Parts: sequence; structure tokens; C-alpha cells
Amino acid sequence: MALLEVTKLTVRFGGLTAVSQLDFEVDAGALVALIGPNGAGKTTAFNVITGVYAPTEGSLRFDGHEIGGESPHHICARGVARTFQNIRLFRALTALDNIRTALVGANRSGLRDVVRGPGWRRHERTLDERARGLLARLGLERHAEARADSLPYGEQRRLEIARALASDPRLLLLDEPAAGLNPSEKDALCALVGRLREEFGIAIVLIDHDVGFVMELCERVTVLDHGEKIAEGPPDTVRRDPKVIEAYLGVDAGAAA
Amino acid sequence: MRARLLLVAGLALLVAADLALPRLLNPYYLTILTRIGVAVLAAASLQLVNGFTGQFSIGHAGFMAVGAYVSAALSVYAGADWLAGLSGALPAPLARGLYFPLPLLAGGAAAALAGFVVGIPALRLRGDYLAIATLGFGEIIRIAILNVDSVGGARGFSLASPSQPGLDLRYEGLGAIYAVVALSVGVIARLVYATGGLAFRAVREDEIAAEAVGVATTRVKVEAFVVSSFFAGVAGALFAHSEGYVHTNSFSFIRSFEVVVFVVLGGLGSISGAILAATVLTAAPELLRGLGEWRMILYSLLLIVTMLLRPQGLLGQRELVPSWLRRAAREPHGAP
Repeated sequence: MALLEVTKLTVRFGGLTAVSQLDFEVDAGALVALIGPNGAGKTTAFNVITGVYAPTEGSLRFDGHEIGGESPHHICARGVARTFQNIRLFRALTALDNIRTALVGANRSGLRDVVRGPGWRRHERTLDERARGLLARLGLERHAEARADSLPYGEQRRLEIARALASDPRLLLLDEPAAGLNPSEKDALCALVGRLREEFGIAIVLIDHDVGFVMELCERVTVLDHGEKIAEGPPDTVRRDPKVIEAYLGVDAGAAA
Repeated sequence: MRARLLLVAGLALLVAADLALPRLLNPYYLTILTRIGVAVLAAASLQLVNGFTGQFSIGHAGFMAVGAYVSAALSVYAGADWLAGLSGALPAPLARGLYFPLPLLAGGAAAALAGFVVGIPALRLRGDYLAIATLGFGEIIRIAILNVDSVGGARGFSLASPSQPGLDLRYEGLGAIYAVVALSVGVIARLVYATGGLAFRAVREDEIAAEAVGVATTRVKVEAFVVSSFFAGVAGALFAHSEGYVHTNSFSFIRSFEVVVFVVLGGLGSISGAILAATVLTAAPELLRGLGEWRMILYSLLLIVTMLLRPQGLLGQRELVPSWLRRAAREPHGAP
């Protein structure tokens, strides 16, 4: 059984069908890509999987449970984490606090925070260590006390990934992680994504426009266009698929050039 | 150990203040100091919603009114008999000290309940819409109370019990009042400055991202609103019991705006900033009394100049906390 099973998923906004009859599977520990031209419905697919939108039709199963229509924080608790296309950090909080917010067992306050018994102190220390550990694994430890929005762009992207990892996910969705990065940063990100999969043993789905980046990294690629899946398979096969070439370059590309 | 010593020293100080201050200061200064305490508590509690959770509420006075009236009604209709009974069995100061927390808790609980009822629908709104809705709810609460005859209606409500006519239900001990304020502010600070309390700030910074990392944003918002209303209720109860008389005019939207000004001027997201602003702005009109009608002009100028020079508020999002207090509070990470 796949970790994530998307079956006949359709999302409509009024008259617009953003995702149509999408079938999509992610196995535990897999590294797959979702690509397609602008407006193909990639981010919408992410938003449905993470609960930002409810599916209009179809089913979403994560780890055997139907998650379609659950609220985002429930889905996060089940083990799905994500990053955003346009970075969404908690800007005025420090890098460390960004991570602490997302840690499992951290994101609710209660009477124990007021009483502050001996167990509370231990708990806080464990959380602090876990957050610092994550920062260190992503090479951000020197920014721990810096405000998130004061970090350089590339490091903000990394911090967002670290924050997503803080919720102990089994599936990590990266929405255009390479957007706005220069070639050397892209290479570093490539290495990082591969390493995260190994070290954390998680499945990763990433969205990107950059076909080259995706082809190099992922073992399986799903191509969307106008909300529909037009191709799926290993990168080499997908790259030669005439439908994919058409979606990216248009039918008359040869003639126009 | 240190914390316990500090607690004992603090209590001793408060008892001393309770006994000594009425002899040292004239009632005018005592009243101002009491009002500062009430303002500080109102500001600190609103800071939780407006400054930390980022939900702009301007109906705080409504919840203070609920606390004031419920506590006053409790004291007048039931508490007076209990207090008389207690005073028969125990020395008077002890009896009063034992009774006093009761109306405060009742006022707080009633306001928290009101906050829950108002918060669930209102917190679905965002930004300006939430502000207008809370303003409306605040006024609804006030006008509803205005029409309840058993708490005096438009005549106002005196803390005089019909069954115990000779009994003074007021509580003017400055030490005790400030103890309540300090305790309440401490609770709010501990809630906010813990890992769990980061959820409040996460909601302020980015609701979608907060949901995505597992923060139940709706619950966090309602929680902030309920806790804030509780302490607004306590502040209202303190006000009622120190003044000995309450009128709905004290809880109009002007009062709400005043508290919002404390919070914004002190710095959204700074408890100590709210305390500072509440203290200064409650004391200023009194200190400037000598200037006659120039007083309010100067007060307004003070506000305008501060907003021009420090648009982020006096303290921004920082906290000014003496290091001994921080150690005593067992703050593990240090407030930002």
C-alpha cells in the first residue's frame, strides 16, 4: 500500500476546474516530482493534500486513512508537512522559534505553562534541544537567534524546510523549493533533498518548473497540464513524451522557432 | 528556593503596603494608584489578543463590564452575608482577605464565558471586520447591562447590600490589588513565553503557515480571547470593588479605545510595554491636572509625538524585565 493515494481527485473553484480526476501515488520513502506549466494545478494539488482546500470529488488516503477535508493541522499531525512557493515563515520570530512552534508536542499552550513544574522544565529543554538539532542539521545553527526575515533568501528556504521537518513528517511536500535560487544554491538544494530523504527516511514530493533539476533528482515524475495528468513515469521516459513536450513548448514550437 | 524567598518577601511587602499606604498617602493618590493597577491588568490582558495573537479586538470594556457587574452583584446579593458570617468567626482583615478573591474569580469566570460566546463567532472574522464586531459586542454587553434593573440600570450600582446595610463591601487594600495584578500579569507572561505560547505568535505572523505546522489556529484564537476576557473580568471586578460603585458609562467604547491605546502605544507584542503605557497614560491626565484645559491637548500631543517617533510602540516587541524577576519567573529562553 502506498503512503499517499490520491484517487480521482477533482477540485473546482466555481466554474474553474483546477485539478481534474487526478490519480497519484507516493510510496513510503519515495522521491517524486510534480511538474507542469504555470496554472497546471500543482500547488492546488498540494493545497488539497495538506487540507487548505477540501476536494470537490475523489479520495485522498494517507497511510490508509481518508484525509480529504480534514483541517490542515490534523493532516500535519498525521505526518504530512509542507513548504510554500512564496516562503511563509513566521517573520518576526527567530529562526529557532520558527522551529519550536512546529515541534511535535509543542504547539498548544496550557496550564502547565503557567504552573511550570519540574517536568515542564525538562520538556522545554528537550524541545529546545530538538529545535537546535534540526537547525544544525540544515546548517542554520548560527542563525538560531536571528529574526527569520533577516536571513538571506536561500537560508529562509532552508529554514522553511527545517520547520516542516520539525513536525516529524513521513511525507514532505516541497512547493518550488528551487525558485529564486542561483545555480550553485540549486545544486546544494539538490544534495540536501537527497540527503533529507536518506537521513529522515521520509517520502518527498516536490513541485518545480525546472525540468532539469527535477530530472536529475527524482525517480518518478508526474506531469500535470490544465489540471489533468498527462504523463507519469521515470524522468527519461517523461522527457521524451510528446504530450509533455507539447504542454511545455506548444505544438507549433518548431515552426515558431 | 530563590523564587520562594522572593514570594515571601513580596507578600510581606504587600501586607506592609496594605497597612502603611493609607496612612502615608491621601485618598486621591490611592485612587489613582488603584486605577493604574486596573489599567495595567486590562492592558496586559488585551495584549494577549491584539499584540500576541494578532486579532484586533476593540471591545475589551464589554468584558470588564461583565466582570465588574457580576462580581458586584455577587457581593451585594450573596457575598455580603458570607462576609458578615466570616467576620463573626475570624478577625475582620482576615475575613475580608479570604472573601475578596471570590468576587474576582466570579467576575473573571463570567467574563471568560462571555468571551467564549462572543469569540466563537467573532473570531471567524479578520482584521477590520473583527474590530467592528468586537466593538459591537462590547456595546451590546454594556447596553444589555444598562437595562437590568436588579443591578441598578441607568442609576448605576452601589456596592451596598440591603441585607447587611452596615457592611463595607469595598476592598481598597493597595497591596492586595497589586498582588492580584502581578499574579495575573505573571500568568499571561508565562502562557505567552513558553514553547506552547509560540502558537499565539505563529497565528499573528501567518495563519496558513501556522495551520500547516500543526497549530489549531481557531482553538488558539478562542483560547487567547477567553484568557484575555477572564483577566479583563478580573480587572473589572477589581475596579468595582475598589470604587464601590459601578456605572455602565465606565465601560463605554471610549474605555475600550483607551485600552487599545495602551497596547498599541506600549508596543504590540510587549507585555511590559503595555504596562508602561497603561501606567503613564493613566497617571498623565492626573499629573497634568494643574494645566487646566490644556491638559487634554497635551495628552493628545503626547500620543501623536509617540506615534510619530515610535510607530512600533514604545517597546516594539521587546520586553523590559529586570533580570531578578526573569530568574524568579524561571524563564528558560529569555523573552525576546
